Amino acid sequence: MTIPQVNVNGRWLALSDIPVHTTLLDFVRDSGLTGSKEGCAEGECGACAVLVAQPGITTPTEWVAVNACLLPAASVDGQEVITAEGLGRADALHPVQEAMAVRGGSQCGYCTPGFVCGMAAEYYRADRDCTHAGQDHGPNGFDLHALSGNLCRCTGYRPIRDAAYSLGTPPAEDPLATRRDEPAAAPVATEVTRDGRTYLRPRTLPDALRVLAEQPETAPVAGCTDWGVGVNIHGRRADRVLAIDRLAELRELEVHADAIEIGAALSLTEIERKLDGSVPLLAELFPQFASRLIRNRATLGGNLGNGSPIGDASAALLALGAEVLLMDSAGRRTVPLADYFTGYRESVLRPGELITSIRIPLPLAPVTAFHKIAKRRFDDISSVAIGFALDITGGVVRRAHIGLGGVAATPLRAYATEAALLDRPWTADTVAAAQQVLRAEGTPMDDHRASARYRAAMLGQSLAKLHAETTEGAVG
Amino acid sequence: MTDMATGTPLSRVDGLLKVTGGADYAADHNPPGLLHAVLVTSTVSRATITGIDTAKARALPGVADVITDFGGVKLPFPAGEISFFGQPVAIALAGTLQQAQHAASVVAVRVTEKPAVTSMDDRQAIAVPSEEVADYARGDADAALKAGPIVLDNSFTVARENHNPMELPATVAQWSGDELTVWDKTQWVQGTGKHIAAALDVPESSVRVICPFIGGAFGSAGRTWPHQVLAAYAARRVKRPVKLVLTRKQMYSGVGYRPESRQRLALAAGADGRITGIVHELKTETARYEAYSEDAAELPKMLYTSPNVRSTYRLVPVDVSAGTFMRGPGFVTGAFALESTLDELAERVDIDPVELRLRNVADRNQITGTPFTQERFADCLRRGAEAFGWARRRPPKARREGNLLIGMGMASAAHPNYMSAASAVARINADGTAVVASATADMGPGTATAMSQLAADGLGLPVAKVRAMLGDSTLPTAPMHAGSATLASIGSAVHTASVAVRDAVVRMAVLDPASPLYQADPATVTVHNGVMSAPGHGSERYGDVLRRHGKDSIDSTQTWKPGDGKKASSYEFGAVFAEVSVDIRLGLVRIRRMRGVYDIGRVVNPKLAHSQAIGGLVGGIGMALLESTARDHRDGRIVNANMADYLVPVHADVPDLEAEFLDGADTASTPIGVKGAAELVIIGVPAAIANAVYNATGVRVRDLPITLDKLL
Repeated sequence: MTIPQVNVNGRWLALSDIPVHTTLLDFVRDSGLTGSKEGCAEGECGACAVLVAQPGITTPTEWVAVNACLLPAASVDGQEVITAEGLGRADALHPVQEAMAVRGGSQCGYCTPGFVCGMAAEYYRADRDCTHAGQDHGPNGFDLHALSGNLCRCTGYRPIRDAAYSLGTPPAEDPLATRRDEPAAAPVATEVTRDGRTYLRPRTLPDALRVLAEQPETAPVAGCTDWGVGVNIHGRRADRVLAIDRLAELRELEVHADAIEIGAALSLTEIERKLDGSVPLLAELFPQFASRLIRNRATLGGNLGNGSPIGDASAALLALGAEVLLMDSAGRRTVPLADYFTGYRESVLRPGELITSIRIPLPLAPVTAFHKIAKRRFDDISSVAIGFALDITGGVVRRAHIGLGGVAATPLRAYATEAALLDRPWTADTVAAAQQVLRAEGTPMDDHRASARYRAAMLGQSLAKLHAETTEGAVG
Repeated sequence: MTDMATGTPLSRVDGLLKVTGGADYAADHNPPGLLHAVLVTSTVSRATITGIDTAKARALPGVADVITDFGGVKLPFPAGEISFFGQPVAIALAGTLQQAQHAASVVAVRVTEKPAVTSMDDRQAIAVPSEEVADYARGDADAALKAGPIVLDNSFTVARENHNPMELPATVAQWSGDELTVWDKTQWVQGTGKHIAAALDVPESSVRVICPFIGGAFGSAGRTWPHQVLAAYAARRVKRPVKLVLTRKQMYSGVGYRPESRQRLALAAGADGRITGIVHELKTETARYEAYSEDAAELPKMLYTSPNVRSTYRLVPVDVSAGTFMRGPGFVTGAFALESTLDELAERVDIDPVELRLRNVADRNQITGTPFTQERFADCLRRGAEAFGWARRRPPKARREGNLLIGMGMASAAHPNYMSAASAVARINADGTAVVASATADMGPGTATAMSQLAADGLGLPVAKVRAMLGDSTLPTAPMHAGSATLASIGSAVHTASVAVRDAVVRMAVLDPASPLYQADPATVTVHNGVMSAPGHGSERYGDVLRRHGKDSIDSTQTWKPGDGKKASSYEFGAVFAEVSVDIRLGLVRIRRMRGVYDIGRVVNPKLAHSQAIGGLVGGIGMALLESTARDHRDGRIVNANMADYLVPVHADVPDLEAEFLDGADTASTPIGVKGAAELVIIGVPAAIANAVYNATGVRVRDLPITLDKLL
């Protein structure tokens, strides 16, 4: 094993002498690169965003923007990272920096380096083109969702959007553009131990399962979007951290005749782009799931492993009738997602067991929808999340799967509502009756996001909205 | 002159540093030997501290010290007691931030709890008069309410809000003998220096505070907070430089908030829409250990002609941390009640809301009776209505597009043009460059850029030759960077100093037999690109005369003082228009477009002013629809003390926004004719949105924020 090190802005920096629970943000800042900022320490504001060279989908390498505050520094062993300082200098500005400066995209300037990195990632996206202009896209194809995880409190965002929409395509000689044509750095096995704590990146899935079998208290991490929050906000300091996000076995997406199997360690962004709209319910979910910066790291395995009761992804996957594939050193098993959650942040997952993939049965239901009720358009936690997957043939409901998030201690299937719809005509009367049932599903609570009354009402309204959309063709 | 720097959309002079990550904020300083400090804060709202166990924390790797004794430090709350949830009780110091955080998380604080009251609505919370805002009456407002004929009498609430700038509060303190240098996030370097010196009982002259960049503050870095003092104290204790950065969570109780408020606004009017009486009864929450009042009572008293007004302001002391001013402090709160009520009145008397306001517009300050220096309130209303297409507004609930109800609303905005005495130095260098400096700050509006522009014109130099310096307590005296007062005050000082030093060089030239300008009348000398010339004389550069006199540079420090305001009242005015959509089924409110039209006197930099105004509109959208600091009054904890749950607007929440400034200059108030903008541009926004929501849905929401639940 070589000495852990990371290439930041073209310079290799040793990762061997830092405490295990040091974030990439603190590492780069302590290295003198203070352009990346801490704004929230939980991946909500994007002030810490940096670029990481990762295996790409349209080019061998892509520059992916991530929240440095959430990643263990050791997780970028062997990788290339670019910060705002590495993109350009005051006397040699990067085109993104120039656009931000000239268009007035920075006021207090604190969020600016993060915005610059998020914007640069989209600038270098090889399949960005002007044919995508329209809703949330600029005339240059810039997808505004690329900045959905960056908060600004001063400018009112408009000058930032103006800057983003003014960008051209990278010139041929741009070193970061040409870098895309070469493969990304291969995953390296990493072991960093300091102060009695260890960060471990195994080479293979069997290696990972062996570590988990021998030391079941080991914390497996993938995208680390929860690890970072645990460390920064909740003071968690696991003695052993096991990185599984680069294990090839967990990073495949396969379409079989009877199912789509999605590797547990693929990021949501990777899944979104690989599926490319082929699962409409998920295509509706992804843009509403947290922010691009989070989706660039977060995985379905992590989302289910963490068992959040709100779980936007769970609501969608429940509607799709998904199954969870689990594995430990003793073997494999498959659990329907509807049986997976057992309580608040609890599941059937055993110590030493990993989620390897999520299976979505085919064929897909013809009528699907994902409704997220939240106050903000981007980057918000749902008050209620509802996934629908219905088969309506000849005006009659032949199959109904409804997944709910935010209405109970776990995500859940709305079985009673499904029964109230099944084999009945898809009419206003059926829907009105089923709405009553749906309002009573779960045990919604009053909290600062919404009242129980509102949550229950929204469940009912959601079904009415779906009915209206399928019958009127209206999109509200 | 056609090539004035003032009035041009110059890009921010520090923009290049900001986009490349080179701007150094307080937390970016890492002096050698630095220790990271993390505060341990209380988890109850009222208690006596009986002990603090630090053994576990001290045993952790990298931990240098855990300080539990703040003895001798003057803090605003009593020692040994807990006065609010989140109060600093100990400081963990370690070599890395993660180590210090971990140490802080394992410090155990033992307390004897006492009954606490944290809600201003609690029956045990007793309202007391504000010492800062006196009761006010003119005429007999209660009699006017009895007389009617039109009477509206409603209650309004505004949730507590936190500033949530992107930058976390940060202090880096380094002692060198008895001298203290502090790199701090502060809107007032000299005030912070003074307050830290007083709290630690050291001479003011021994403390230097540096803050060239502020990552947004909106009022939260105005006064000096305990963490700033404690960082300096800890550094003295451990004899090493200390960096203390509050966490986002700690910000919610550590650097103030816009206090929660309750208002009764009762208004009487004739059928012609003329206001005959206003009763405004206002209450805001405040800390028990410290009173904070704000100017929420002013607009209902001041803005419209009403012969009868009665206004009272009460504070409700509870066991919470201290509040402070937050963008548009008080004014935005009072305007919400007043401008919502005017919207209701407009409907009752069937007069267009813009016309209704025009009928009640005052030409003079209704409190003092003094005329406004510049009265363009009515112009803002008319211009806004025209530019926004207000005539297309329909009656409530009359406009529908698919599942969306569409509505328009508007509101007035006004704010005093605050000004303070301020000093600046201007220096002309023989090499043709110049420096202008003041101990002011730039939390985002572009103070340094505007200083450069004003100095360039005062000096007769291209703006590229002028460098502005600020954010250092050793520079000439400046007031707090707050209240929208900076440009009017500092800008006037910069202008005065620039003209003074220009005149000094001109005097040198006209008195110098070697100068082509010898014996020219100084009043006829003009300076362009650093070249002085006068009719009938030759010309020469500043540098030429300075070098002949053996000088590398010449400078002048000047203090500008505002007038006493007794003859005229200087106010900024505006009108805000909003169009919203509301999803019929889900109650989701989205802003479709907004426009603000403002009278802010002379606009020094239209690009920066526009950005500032749009930012204010977005701040107002947050206040109207999203922002609320939620608390659990069982123990006083803030339950959404993070950016995931305390919602501020994101990119996609922001639609087409337009801001427009009326031409003009308020030269009666300052030599540069500017008025403030930053506070004004949030005032009226929540009311305009609430009025638009009413127009869309027929549902009147009098409680901010307008969340989904309230539209069911």
